[in-house]
Amino acid sequence: MPPLRPAAAPSPLLALALALALALQGAAAAGPGGLLPQAARAALHFLNFRAGSPSALRALAAVQEGRARINAEKECTVDLVFTTERHNPEEGEERLGKCSARVLFRNQKPRPVINITCTRVTEKNKRQQEDYLLYKQMEQLRNPLDVVNIPDNHGHIDPSLRPIWELAFLGSSYVMWEKTTQFLHYYMAQLSSVKQWKTNDGAIDFDYTVLLHEFSTQEIIPCRIHLVWSPGKPLKVKYHCQELQAPEEASGTEGGSAVAPTELSNF
Amino acid sequence: MQKLLILSVLLGAVLGKEDFVGHQVLRISGADEAQVQKVKELEDLEHLKLDFWRAPAQPGSPIDVRVPFSSIQAVKIFLESYGIEYTIMIEDVQSLLDEEQEQIFTSQARTSSTDNFNYTTYHTLEEIYGFIDLLVAENPQLVSKLQIGSSYEGRPIYVLKFSTGGEDRPAIWLDTGIHSREWVTQASGVWFAKKITQDYGQDPAITAVLDSLDIFLEIVTNPDGFAYTHSTNRLWRKTRSLTSGSSCVGVDANRNWDAGFGLAGASSSPCSETYHGKSANSEVEVKSVVDFVKDHGNIKAFISIHSYSQLLLYPYGYQKEAAADQNELDQVAKSAVEALTSLYGTEFKYGSTYTTIYQASGNSIDWAYSQGIKYSFTFELRDTGRYGFLLPASQIIPTAQETWLALQTILEYTLNHPY
Repeated sequence: MPPLRPAAAPSPLLALALALALALQGAAAAGPGGLLPQAARAALHFLNFRAGSPSALRALAAVQEGRARINAEKECTVDLVFTTERHNPEEGEERLGKCSARVLFRNQKPRPVINITCTRVTEKNKRQQEDYLLYKQMEQLRNPLDVVNIPDNHGHIDPSLRPIWELAFLGSSYVMWEKTTQFLHYYMAQLSSVKQWKTNDGAIDFDYTVLLHEFSTQEIIPCRIHLVWSPGKPLKVKYHCQELQAPEEASGTEGGSAVAPTELSNF
Repeated sequence: MQKLLILSVLLGAVLGKEDFVGHQVLRISGADEAQVQKVKELEDLEHLKLDFWRAPAQPGSPIDVRVPFSSIQAVKIFLESYGIEYTIMIEDVQSLLDEEQEQIFTSQARTSSTDNFNYTTYHTLEEIYGFIDLLVAENPQLVSKLQIGSSYEGRPIYVLKFSTGGEDRPAIWLDTGIHSREWVTQASGVWFAKKITQDYGQDPAITAVLDSLDIFLEIVTNPDGFAYTHSTNRLWRKTRSLTSGSSCVGVDANRNWDAGFGLAGASSSPCSETYHGKSANSEVEVKSVVDFVKDHGNIKAFISIHSYSQLLLYPYGYQKEAAADQNELDQVAKSAVEALTSLYGTEFKYGSTYTTIYQASGNSIDWAYSQGIKYSFTFELRDTGRYGFLLPASQIIPTAQETWLALQTILEYTLNHPY
């Protein structure tokens, strides 16, 4: 009987994938960059954008479990379970939501593919009501065109301007989702200026600039965003970011077609 | 000068409850004697209610006049019809007055002691340096101010020394504000300084620490960057040094240390936010600390404070390999974080820089650790991205309070584990 040959060593890639899968078990992030919270945030940007509801924006509370695997094409798939809280915290009790998501980072390419399901925290009717109220508040705003720097340098947001900040964040969510890769992720640092603000026909036409904070480069990236929002309708977004380091500049339009902001489409 | 003029001239009027809404101040240039004469004619028209701040004199001298709203059109038409040049010095006198009033009230509220210093707001460099001087004056037995160098633009770099005596005692190093936009850190540094003076002699733990160890606290580690965040760009991170051959300014002071300098985890591009500089310690702000720490020779813990992300990190950042003292550092970090969270429930993650945040080469605590300073930690304070650098001022004190609990844990541990 021939001596048993030792089993062939697993391919290095498989070994890596296995190691990564094991290492990422549990809530603690591993590997440079804390991949799990990053993936969770990307998933939330996507969720927030698709929900199209500035009054119901969700933020990451905590990652509960997750694992990642890398395939032969160097695509990284992250499966996660995490809790969420309101982006705009209210006084009083905080209801945590729960989401499970699969995030696929294409090898160094942005626009991760997201599959996400979350427990419903707010009833659909209530959410629509709150959006409608928000819309009404925004209709009342005097001269949002004078708006610069929200929050201001001291982190203060005038309560009457808070809805603008939420709406700006909603538009930024689209941008931040699109730009995220397994190595780069984003936060909205500031709404720096409003170029145009029109409310008519139940829609808000909002043209503004935000500053995004990019990890891990620490860069501050100005993005010009133009959105049209109507309570209960899908969000339309166009944007153009100044890429200070990379030679190309990144821009995008939701839906993949160059549409005029007044056109609405279904997903 | 102009503002004093307004004040002196108008304060009386303000007290007389006159209103200057829409009033403008014009500067008229009488090109020749004839024009100056014409302007003098205006003076005689009482119904215009003109108030000359600088009366018509000779040609070429500016004539300044406050014009009530109701007379503005008439005056301008008059001047224009005679080809007399003028500029609008003040568009609306009332707005300027209102601004001035505000400034007066603010400066009246300026602090006379660290007890009425406002810890719930962000401050300028001048205010923080003023605070430092007050604190030293109020606590001469405990606190002294050392200048460890001057910034690139010539600003003094100060370190506070908290000491109850002895000579060359083992010491703890704390720095805040190395990245200027992380405003909650300088603000927390101010709060820590005050806290130490309040608690020494009252709180047994900090008293025990200070009876054996010294504490060095550098509140504004990057004064040029900090001044720039106030004057020009709130989100400025780096120093303000010029790089020859580039139009871009500044070096990331936390990539400039001599530990894995220039390796992956920093940028070689001067325009990048993580530009490491042309060589280790090229930044005077970094060199000053390096020289101080080396000369002191007895620093036992080195803690750099940043924001944001809510993390407590230990070496290494420049490489994946675990530090020799990883297990111990991890334990210390764990208890420090537990102490922090106990106050307001703020959650922090902890671990080595490399595995918890990202690869970062040339950072301060990797250097400190390489110097044999075992208890080297980086804090990333609140929040986790909702406000980021623009943390509302209302969170300054809660942030400082919870962080202090973590710092105390590390201080006590250092005291109890001499090496």
